[in-house]
Amino acid sequence: MDNTALQNKAAAAVGCRRVTLPSGLRVLCRPMPGYSTAYALYGTAFGSVHRDFTLDGTPVHLPAGTAHFLEHKMFESEQGDAFDLYARTGASANAFTSYERTCYLFACTDGVEQNLDILLGVVGRPYFTKKTIAKEQGIIGQEIKMYDDNPDWRLLTGLFQCLYAQHPIRDDIAGTVESIATLTPELLYACATAFYRPANMVLAVAGNVTEEQVLAACRRAGLDRPAPAHTVEYAFAPETGPVPQKELTFTMPLNKPCFALGYRVAPVARGDAKQEMLYDMLPELVCGGLTRLYRRLYDEALVNPEFSGEAVGADGCCAIAFTGESEAPREVAALLRAEIDRLKREGVDRELFGLVKNEVYGDLIADLESADDTAEDLLSAELKGYTLEEQIAALAALAPEDADAALRAAFDEEQSAYVEIQPQQGGQA
Amino acid sequence: MERMQLAPGVYLTTLPADKFKRCRITIHLRFPALRASATDTAVLALVLERGYAACPDMTRLSRRLAALYGAELGVDLAVGGVDRVLTADICGIKDEYALAGENLTEAYAGIVLGVLFDPHLVDGVFDPEAVRIEKETLARRLQAEYNNKRLYCVRQARRRFYGHGPAAIEVGGYLKDLPAVTPATLKAEYDRILQSARIDVTVQGADAARIGELLLQKLGGVPRAPQPYAPPLAMPRQAPAHYREAIPGLTQAKLCMLFTTGTPEPLPDIHLLRLAMCVYGGGPTSRLFRNVREKQSLCYYCAASAQSATGSMLVDSGVEPGGEERAEQAILRELRALQDTPPTPDELEDARRALLSGMDAASDSLAAQESWYYGQILRGEEPIDPAEAQARTRAVTAQAVQAELQRYTLSVSYIVTAGEGNDNG
Repeated sequence: MDNTALQNKAAAAVGCRRVTLPSGLRVLCRPMPGYSTAYALYGTAFGSVHRDFTLDGTPVHLPAGTAHFLEHKMFESEQGDAFDLYARTGASANAFTSYERTCYLFACTDGVEQNLDILLGVVGRPYFTKKTIAKEQGIIGQEIKMYDDNPDWRLLTGLFQCLYAQHPIRDDIAGTVESIATLTPELLYACATAFYRPANMVLAVAGNVTEEQVLAACRRAGLDRPAPAHTVEYAFAPETGPVPQKELTFTMPLNKPCFALGYRVAPVARGDAKQEMLYDMLPELVCGGLTRLYRRLYDEALVNPEFSGEAVGADGCCAIAFTGESEAPREVAALLRAEIDRLKREGVDRELFGLVKNEVYGDLIADLESADDTAEDLLSAELKGYTLEEQIAALAALAPEDADAALRAAFDEEQSAYVEIQPQQGGQA
Repeated sequence: MERMQLAPGVYLTTLPADKFKRCRITIHLRFPALRASATDTAVLALVLERGYAACPDMTRLSRRLAALYGAELGVDLAVGGVDRVLTADICGIKDEYALAGENLTEAYAGIVLGVLFDPHLVDGVFDPEAVRIEKETLARRLQAEYNNKRLYCVRQARRRFYGHGPAAIEVGGYLKDLPAVTPATLKAEYDRILQSARIDVTVQGADAARIGELLLQKLGGVPRAPQPYAPPLAMPRQAPAHYREAIPGLTQAKLCMLFTTGTPEPLPDIHLLRLAMCVYGGGPTSRLFRNVREKQSLCYYCAASAQSATGSMLVDSGVEPGGEERAEQAILRELRALQDTPPTPDELEDARRALLSGMDAASDSLAAQESWYYGQILRGEEPIDPAEAQARTRAVTAQAVQAELQRYTLSVSYIVTAGEGNDNG
């Protein structure tokens, strides 16, 4: 692949405008001529792992699930529910919380200014009462239970509990029924002050929209003026040495065992697009659909077709996890370990490396033809400290030797753990 | 949109794709579902996706797609009315984004046509090794249904609702039929599909004339007798049957309710049906979301959808164990309220705006655009563009929504919950 040609083509394809407003808000806008939909994503670098911090020197400790709870409550105002406001414009709106961020979004084909006003007016201006908090605890309790029945989610949570002794990634994003029961309006307001400051947020808009429309909406929301300054500090103690638990086994009402083999790896430093891309590529190079190992596992019926690997991380932590269903999960884990050992000795297949790189490039181009994927990619890169163009440049510059080095550094058996879910007795035969 | 007939039962649709960076070719084969060969059909879709005569090896095909800048190939089997639809599609970046000036679109056409019309055969039947492997894959998929309790509950409810009728045929096939699937039975099913299917090809951003020409070449030696679409049906009305399945260790209960119109005629106008579902249980402005989830906190999700070809409406919900009956009563209460009184102007307009906005967005992705037009073809409608559909949606009245919802009565309620002991109606 010609790296310069790739970089030039990709940079031209991205075509995004960036502005940092006096309030500190970073605004990314990518107009897409010919599109009907405008998609806006308003995100803060506040996720489930941000549980201990100081706000203007005062320590704050949050129970598990606070960021997610706040996301639910942010849709309410004294005037009512934000969904009602969006319903008047025909926009579809939603929000989500991950380990490291919370995002609010809408998609519309009409009235983008009005929808931006709703988005910027509601998010960051929370309204809670004890009564509305109690109501939300019931709904979120149901959401928590839904995830409790999801084996993929339970595997990932179990894996993080094995790999980390202290890091809050051990806890579920939504917390527990008990943890969210301890939330108070004061704690939620403290979070809003600390993490919904404009300087901690990014607004990414793509599709049927102009930069002027977005900036005008920011002005109407007062985001063109300096915002009150607050000092927020948090840190995650590095966890090194052997993992706290090598294995975890439990049961669920399933009819097939599920398993996860995970490796604790060095967290990606802010702005390090190269490491981020390498972590994304490593599972594909070990057992992706193009590899001999995947073919063997598939043909010998050792895994389900959805078996895969992925890198999952947040501030201060990161893991590469291989998960799937299997009648012989320990055999699959052994084959994965053997393949990783082989690759560490022999290096990655050069042809395969080129093909995986091609796939990643194709995916990035594909994302640019969709307003929602574009906004998502722009915001995600920005919160990680680089631009989409820099991400593509980092991809272009990657060489097989980089993958060899990353593979040797990432897969340390001492830093690995294995989780297995066995079918519970009394389940379906 | 341009649509033309290439041969009896063979149609080519061309859709504009100038604004996209990728192109897409989609081929649909719609054919009658048969209970006897349902499992062969399901295995066939998996075997076809592994490769074709010019590229029989699964890994080689994956590598070929990766070399084409990660082009995506899919082979999928789905329900179309009461029929089956076997779809192969390929989507990849346009030639202008190729770094070495490759003719990507010609390669895409070769692959997607090859997968459907030039299968890899050994001694005139499908490759025994590929069939063995994909039978195991299907077995694992069928067994895995139980691991996803929401899906499992919906499927169990559908099984009770449709009984042994034509709509009951499982699109994923049957575990007990798998041993009888052989390379020869698969070839017989493949030949039946090719002979009986109505074929629809959609081309977006590639040379449609060239693809039409290649398709006709592929069909040259095939004995063809395209079958008409299966007529719509509806399950007769019945006293509600309640089923309860207890699964120890389950945390959240699932509730699935199936309603029938009792008769397929008159087939509802699709715009009216969509609006009625949107008002009742189709989004955050719906009655089910606002009242059952938000006001009463009875569930985390609660949504309604309808299928005109089978005169059915489905409501599925995730609820607190022990609260299933309360949730069911709340869901029925909301339906009765809309059957008794038309939706308010505000809620009708909220739902209408959401639908109109969704129609505008149908032209913003290759897949959504294709699905917009083929969805109409599947329902046997004359395809119209989103602007025309919006005009028809604007014309739907609150009274029409009320009348449409009045057609539904509850037939089956299926609960999967924590605890022990089953109650099968």
